[in-house]
Amino acid sequence: MSLYTYLLISAIIFTIGAYGLITQRSGIKILMCIELMLNSANINLVAFSSFNNNSTGQVFALFSIAIAAAEAAIGFAILVALFRVKDTINLDNINILRW
Amino acid sequence: MFSDYAALIVLLPVLAFVLTLFLGKKLPSGGAPLPIVAIAGSFIISLGIFLEIYPDKTVQQSWYWFAGMNQGTGMNLGILIDPLAVVMLMMVSFVSLLIHIYAVGYMAHDPAKPRYFAETSLFTAAMLAVVLSDNILQFFIAWELVGVCSYLLIGFWYHKPSAAAAAKKAFLVTRIGDVLFLAGIVVLYFNMSKVIESGTFNLEPGNFILQFKSMFEAIPYIDKRQLTIITLLFFGGAVGKSGQFPLHGWLPDAMEGPTTVSALIHAATMVTAGVYLVARTFPMFAAAPDSLLVVAYIGGFTALFAATMGLVMNDIKRVLAYSTVSQLGYMMLALGTAGAVVGAKAVGISMFHLISHAFFKALLFLCAGSVIHAVGTNDIREMGGLFGKMKITATTMLIAALALAGIGIPFLNVGTAGFFSKDAIIEGAFEYAEVKGDFIPYIFAVLAALLTSIYIFRLWFMAFTGSPRSERHSHESPGVMTRPLMILAVFALFFGFAQSGFYNYLETNFELAGVELAAHEGEASHPPVMIVLLPVIVGVLGFLISYAIYHRRMLDMSKFVSSQNPVYKLLLNRYYEPKIGADIIGVKLTHDITAQSGEFVDRKIIDGLVIDNVIGSTTFKIGNTVRKLQTGVVQNYASIVILGVALLVILLKLGGV
Repeated sequence: MSLYTYLLISAIIFTIGAYGLITQRSGIKILMCIELMLNSANINLVAFSSFNNNSTGQVFALFSIAIAAAEAAIGFAILVALFRVKDTINLDNINILRW
Repeated sequence: MFSDYAALIVLLPVLAFVLTLFLGKKLPSGGAPLPIVAIAGSFIISLGIFLEIYPDKTVQQSWYWFAGMNQGTGMNLGILIDPLAVVMLMMVSFVSLLIHIYAVGYMAHDPAKPRYFAETSLFTAAMLAVVLSDNILQFFIAWELVGVCSYLLIGFWYHKPSAAAAAKKAFLVTRIGDVLFLAGIVVLYFNMSKVIESGTFNLEPGNFILQFKSMFEAIPYIDKRQLTIITLLFFGGAVGKSGQFPLHGWLPDAMEGPTTVSALIHAATMVTAGVYLVARTFPMFAAAPDSLLVVAYIGGFTALFAATMGLVMNDIKRVLAYSTVSQLGYMMLALGTAGAVVGAKAVGISMFHLISHAFFKALLFLCAGSVIHAVGTNDIREMGGLFGKMKITATTMLIAALALAGIGIPFLNVGTAGFFSKDAIIEGAFEYAEVKGDFIPYIFAVLAALLTSIYIFRLWFMAFTGSPRSERHSHESPGVMTRPLMILAVFALFFGFAQSGFYNYLETNFELAGVELAAHEGEASHPPVMIVLLPVIVGVLGFLISYAIYHRRMLDMSKFVSSQNPVYKLLLNRYYEPKIGADIIGVKLTHDITAQSGEFVDRKIIDGLVIDNVIGSTTFKIGNTVRKLQTGVVQNYASIVILGVALLVILLKLGGV
């Protein structure tokens, strides 16, 4: 498989994530879409790393995964707390900062 | 050795100010020992410096402060201790020291003692900084600091509305003078830089543009009319600070503060700063005879004008306040009249009166404080018969009164401090009158001397003799208060004998600075016997008049002292000066005309037309439209971010990266 295949898969996943981010209303789905976008970037990093014989990219991807895990934990914790207060995680209803 | 520590003269009281302010509550008697020790230190250093530099040296220290736009227009901070400064330094620190000690007793029952001692300590520091400044800008800064302390201390009992109002009045009225003074500095700076730029005058390397010595060196090169303007503006500052007509009104009102404050600030030190300013810049005044004439007339007129009001006041401190205004008038008169005929010697005459006045007037105020402490009222009509109960206070006050009235024995040269100092002023005025053919200042001076004697003995007889007019059991003040009285009384009695040495020392002041002052030469004849005797004669005459009226009650005063008598009414109402100041200038001019029209322009034109209709409404409309962009929907924001990134990528691609 050539590098372009990996990049193509990565681009497809990124686009799916971006599309979901824009269209979805549920907080959990939006978090999942963000995960998709992050992981597409990870695929890019690992692919370049392996084709360039340079391990820096893989180390970077590991970092990114670890940070994504932390981010997901915080994000879900926020959503759980929001749900307790508002009884919903539909982001359309969470708009108190709106004019 | 002492001169290396000259900066400590100012810094010690500053340190005491900080420490007393923060730690005073935890220390005995409100932290009073701190300022006392610090000011004693200042006094010792001043005395040490005096012994070091006497008779013909000066101390000069200068530190670079900031650079100016052009060569030689920078500023410095510096110390200049010449004969003029060193006598002031000793007087200020010594009188301040005694008053601080006295205040331990006088303020014993006041809960706000730490604040009191902190503020008087800061005041002393500022006053000492005025005295030893070597440039006019630093002088001005310290001068303003002195004004602030005066404001704080007049309003020390700020919960009393009259005290708060008096503090405000003092600040605003002296401010008029301060603005004139600042304008004078600006005009001076402008003229100095003009003569430096044109190359007619070169600043010596290491000298700064606003240093006194540079100013004096540049005098011949500055345009005479400009010099007159500068000196008149400086004199405006002095008029404000020294309570000269027409800015005298704040000083009697300033008596709302504690009596110790009146003694320190409004008798001995701060109010003399104006005289000191004129003395300090005397070479400039000497080069502008028109200004000297103004100084002489304002001083002479104030001396007489204030003395007339002193005659009728019933508040013991007000009498003394008008007396202070009047005596400051004498000092100005001396600079103006004698300055025009005998040159630099006039500074000696004026400063000698300044210093002997500081001793006996501080003493008078402290005695008044002792009386008020005992009787609990300021009104001399409620006192009387105190001599038996307060022997020390009564005796020291009598000495001070004799000094103020200038009583002494002519020809034998024995007398109180005021006898020597006032005689010299009146003789100077006479010499001026002979040379210039202008007797008006002389007449002012002699009449004022008569009135001075009458009002001060009226005060003394009404307070200490006769029968008691109130029920209160008064008693002598504690030793911490009477001992400073006795020390000051010694100076009020014997300081006069320092006269000739003092004159000779002060006369060298401007020679040391390298300034030559033209003195009038010619008939240096001894004035006629009558002229020498006249000041003493009017002094004794005043004493006898007061004795007859207020002690023996030989005249029925009820006809004079009634609201039917227009002269009495005019004097009691202080020539309607407070009314003119408050109602006409304050309310009608400032509030009704200026402030109201300002409000009209602000509210109706600027707010109404411009802001509400044009700027305000347009901003609101734009804001209403634009805030629709903030939908509060996360997806919209995310779309815009993604769109933006996409656009960026496309642009970069087009750019060929």
